[in-house]
Amino acid sequence: MKVPTRRPEEFLPLTPAMFHILLALADKERHGYHIMREVDERTSGSVKLGPGTLYGSIKRMMADGLIEELEERPDPELDDERRRYYRLTDFGFRVATAEAQRLEQMVRSARAKKLLPRAKAG
Amino acid sequence: MSKTLSKDAGFFVSIYTILLRAYPREFRREYGSQMVLLLLDCQRDARTAAARRRLWLRTLVDLIFTAPREHLNNIRKENKFMRNLRSDLIAIGGCVFIIALALALLSYGRSHQVSSILFFGYVLDAIAFTGLVGNLIVFLLVKLTSLNPLRVALWTFLIVSIVPALAIVLIAGSDPTFNAASVVIGYVVSFLFWYGLHTLWSHKLKPSETT
Repeated sequence: MKVPTRRPEEFLPLTPAMFHILLALADKERHGYHIMREVDERTSGSVKLGPGTLYGSIKRMMADGLIEELEERPDPELDDERRRYYRLTDFGFRVATAEAQRLEQMVRSARAKKLLPRAKAG
Repeated sequence: MSKTLSKDAGFFVSIYTILLRAYPREFRREYGSQMVLLLLDCQRDARTAAARRRLWLRTLVDLIFTAPREHLNNIRKENKFMRNLRSDLIAIGGCVFIIALALALLSYGRSHQVSSILFFGYVLDAIAFTGLVGNLIVFLLVKLTSLNPLRVALWTFLIVSIVPALAIVLIAGSDPTFNAASVVIGYVVSFLFWYGLHTLWSHKLKPSETT
């Protein structure tokens, strides 16, 4: 596997598709269709990744060492053997965290400028 | 997965398989079958005719935008490779020229007893030797590992300068005509010369590496 020598901040800002894919893989390994469904459900259908966007992003993120392909399928008995599963690498997790922090900072700025209502305490 | 595709859905998948040719061959080989599999899964989810039409439209729009992007990425990758190859060739050519010039000057000075050249004889000797050995080691280490090129140059030229200087001083030290100070100065100047050149080179490369 390629070991990234760069800092997570160098990858920011991520494209929306990349960030959604990293979020989908943050809790468990998934195959392409699972990633697409997870993003669709999490965003209530407002973000739909097409096959080209999904696999184009996967290709770039694999090259950058943000995600990796699993050697074995998690559930070979129940699943189509042609499916490829992906998971987040430690570096991918750090990049996703850095992007989340960047977005949080943006939202804080938007709140300060009264573009968004203040977050409720607690 | 037991449900079979409707006739029109099967036809669209066939069309999509053909349209995948719009992507670069490498990308198609790596992800083409996964993309078709994904589309098949989506087709099974789209239960109504309207949902299927929306899916097809979305998939076609996605293809129109992402296929050229993959070709563009390939072109950028090739350009980067050519840029690296060109800068490698310039660096190697430059080093070979400097070493050849040092050796030619030294040879000319010795054969014609040119005192102004022979005055720098120790420096030219050291530049030729450390240049040849040091640059070869730096080039191999930088190409074969992911080590920092400037740090590799620093340590390599330090070692390649200190070791022969010490060896020469130890071996020829007992000879009364031997000038140890000149040898040491020669290797110090040579180290500064080659390391300085690598520092300049790495600063020159930085802007193109980030693009």
